[in-house]
Amino acid sequence: MTPDAIPRDRLTLWVNGREVSVIADPHDRLSHILRDRLGLTGLKEGCCEGECGACTVLVDDHPVASCLMLGFQAEGVRITTIEGLTQGGGLSGLQQAFLTYGAVQCGFCTPGMVMAAEGHLRANPDGDRAAIRHALAGNICRCTGFALIVDAVESEAERRQADLSNAMEAGA
Amino acid sequence: MGQVGKRLALIDGVEKVTGQMRFAADDAVAGLAHAALLFSPHPHARVLSLDAGKVLAMAGVIGVWWHQTTPQNGYNSAIWLAGQQLLADERMFPAVVRHVGDRVAVVLADTEATARAAIELLEVTYDVLPAILSPEGAQAHTGPTVDADRQPTYLNPVAEVALDHGDVAAAFARASHVSQTHVTTPRSHHCAIETHVCRAWPEANDRIAIHSPCQSVFAVQAVVAQALGIAADRLHVTKSPIGGSFGGKAEPILDPICAFLAMQTGRVVQLQLSRHETFTATRTRSATEGRMRIALAADGRILGRDVVVTVDIGAYCTGGAYLPGSMLQRMVRLYDVPAERYRGRAVYTNTLPTGAFRGYGSPQIHALGEIALDLAARDAGFDPVALRLRNIVGPGAIDPWQGLNLGNARGADCLRRGAKAFGWETRAKLAPGTGRFRRGVGMAAATHINGCFPGDDESTTATLGLQADGGIVLNCALHDLGCGSDTTLAQIAAEVLGLGLQNIRVTPADTDTCTYDLGTRASRMTYIVGEAVRKAALALDQAIRDAAALALNAAAQDLTLLQGCVQSARTRISLADLAAWLVARKTALPSATQTHRATANPGSFAAHFAEVEVDTLTGRVQVTDYLAAHDIGRAINPMLVEGQIHGGIQIGLGYALYEDVAVDPGTGRLRGDSFARYTLANAPEMPPIRTLLVEEAEPTGPFGAKAVGEIATVAVAPALVNAVNAALGTRLTDLPLLPERIILALQN
Repeated sequence: MTPDAIPRDRLTLWVNGREVSVIADPHDRLSHILRDRLGLTGLKEGCCEGECGACTVLVDDHPVASCLMLGFQAEGVRITTIEGLTQGGGLSGLQQAFLTYGAVQCGFCTPGMVMAAEGHLRANPDGDRAAIRHALAGNICRCTGFALIVDAVESEAERRQADLSNAMEAGA
Repeated sequence: MGQVGKRLALIDGVEKVTGQMRFAADDAVAGLAHAALLFSPHPHARVLSLDAGKVLAMAGVIGVWWHQTTPQNGYNSAIWLAGQQLLADERMFPAVVRHVGDRVAVVLADTEATARAAIELLEVTYDVLPAILSPEGAQAHTGPTVDADRQPTYLNPVAEVALDHGDVAAAFARASHVSQTHVTTPRSHHCAIETHVCRAWPEANDRIAIHSPCQSVFAVQAVVAQALGIAADRLHVTKSPIGGSFGGKAEPILDPICAFLAMQTGRVVQLQLSRHETFTATRTRSATEGRMRIALAADGRILGRDVVVTVDIGAYCTGGAYLPGSMLQRMVRLYDVPAERYRGRAVYTNTLPTGAFRGYGSPQIHALGEIALDLAARDAGFDPVALRLRNIVGPGAIDPWQGLNLGNARGADCLRRGAKAFGWETRAKLAPGTGRFRRGVGMAAATHINGCFPGDDESTTATLGLQADGGIVLNCALHDLGCGSDTTLAQIAAEVLGLGLQNIRVTPADTDTCTYDLGTRASRMTYIVGEAVRKAALALDQAIRDAAALALNAAAQDLTLLQGCVQSARTRISLADLAAWLVARKTALPSATQTHRATANPGSFAAHFAEVEVDTLTGRVQVTDYLAAHDIGRAINPMLVEGQIHGGIQIGLGYALYEDVAVDPGTGRLRGDSFARYTLANAPEMPPIRTLLVEEAEPTGPFGAKAVGEIATVAVAPALVNAVNAALGTRLTDLPLLPERIILALQN
């Protein structure tokens, strides 16, 4: 079947806190829709087969390789891309940690890596180093050797823990 | 002040962590046309016919081109300046394809999906020819590399390099210990996460713009001009941000085709490879096989070495003709050996072409040399560190091949300090154990170059100028591959100018606005370009103080630049106010251009130490501890230096243990052609890493700095192989150490 012969339909997604609607093919990958149709080019594609993790986004707070998800599978869920982390202006704590710890080199895997780490920290706030390393196993970085990324994520977990205990003390 | 030595974040880091960095394929362009390539399924075949009837009938297809409708100029994708003499044996679409993955045809269409669907419908007939798929087969296929009409013959060897230094026969005759080791190294792939991509479009005055992630815009210009047979000044090349290269994007592979399509159609054309295509149709590191004989004296002195190396460069010459010489260059700069015999040859095979990959021959020759030396040490009863300390070159050593002074060579410091920090003396004596899991430690030393002197005119030109807004712009043909060279160079400028990093803006390379430069390669950015920037900054400092002297009615020698201001004891003016004052008075803003021409090529040195645990049941190797000591001269930004070392270890670890695109000897196809089938070390596989920087200042480097980018990966594979051999008592010498190879060695 040539690309023109494929039926198209209206797809409504909830991306970075906003509802968006596009006409899409049933077989369009979520990564393609986010990047090429919605212009969210912070999302990178490195392999289109779920091996490199560059296209990682959050789906209801869970990190997902968006090249392995069809756009129509993403209806009714909350999608967060790297563009959605900086809402309100400045860098998120995690993004700042990536800079401070030298966890960024060429920057191509970085958006996916940040989203994978963000998803991990939301579900596992304790910042266990071994758990962080395994959480990032699906994201390939060819520049940094990973350790500095793990350092950055670990420090952000500590910062969030400290924020949490400060907030609890203030509340108590 | 105080910028050098600081752990500063990347100047372009915010764009990178927010996803705002505009990589080559990120900008939406109305009317963007997409190209897709058809690749040869055969390792050697004549392309007889192409039927594009079905494709040309498809909606959205703009056109189809193949060898009969494209320029057939021979070119070499590894040249970096026009007129460079290097075998021009490649064509955009050759009539005879020479490897699986060679280019047969291209389709241009309105969407990438249409272009890729169309490729599947092209009908091609081939006359399949006999193929040479191994270097052994290539050895028999010999003759001159060009015929009487200077056309390439594809006969071997492509290049041969020999060195005879001292009396090798006498060295072996009086040796106490003689050893011989045979090492093979695999074809490894760069695996930059951004796949290869290029954009091109027509510009005014009959020119073509090319925007691509490259390591030299001038190399792109030279290669495309050669391939298309047009004047180089018709090409305007700009460098896009680069999503990793490691040498993989050093050669313009897509740019000639992309430029040709833009010329033919007047469209903005994008050509981006898939991951599979990046594996199978770009470049890999060349595979090598080498034999090293070592003559040792009773006191551990290396009396002589006798080395034979064959480099499989694949189907096209590219820069492969340089490799035997590059390997020799690195080999003779590590140890002080009175007698050396070296024979290196590069041969064609009908396999994927090879090219630059982090170290350019260094990883291969160090795998041979450092594994061979370790086995020699074991046989003769020497401690590996002590044996290396006995022989390593010292400051001011002269290499026996090019006669270059190796500068403030601090390899011995790396060995001593690294061994102490690692606890080598104690750990090397520990028994490996007798159970299922065996532990061992290993180490290796390494050296690498700083730039291209004396092979090339190693000069570069930097311009620094005060802008009307008070900012400082650095203009130089810069290609930051992600290593942070823009940041490092800005730090050097900021240090001299008494500014912060945020005051310096760096412009990317552009053939229309930058002076020629060799590009980001050969570990030359900090050492060569850094010195040009330092000199330009010194000149700008003088020019700004001269201008401020007028504004402040002070003597220039009484003024200093500090924290964005020019000041004396009694008065000051900010750079922004100074710029405004000068513009208001119709006075030129201070600017300085300096050319630095290097006349030295000192060595960077390293010693790496590793501990491994080997599962004797499965053959799996886990690296459990790692220490890397580096002679860096002076770290301009220690955080970025450490980042280079960490990343180099990841690539070297894969080189030792996992990575091989593995050409199938029957079909010529690659087995490792996707991330699923080409194993990389990921976060859980990486060991804890300690880095140790030896900062003893190289007098010819900016603030004493030397290179780290390539040497970071050079010592890794031999250190790990030596650790595995120590753990198992084996003599494994074929890389990578796949589990089946380890199990086989244990069974024997």
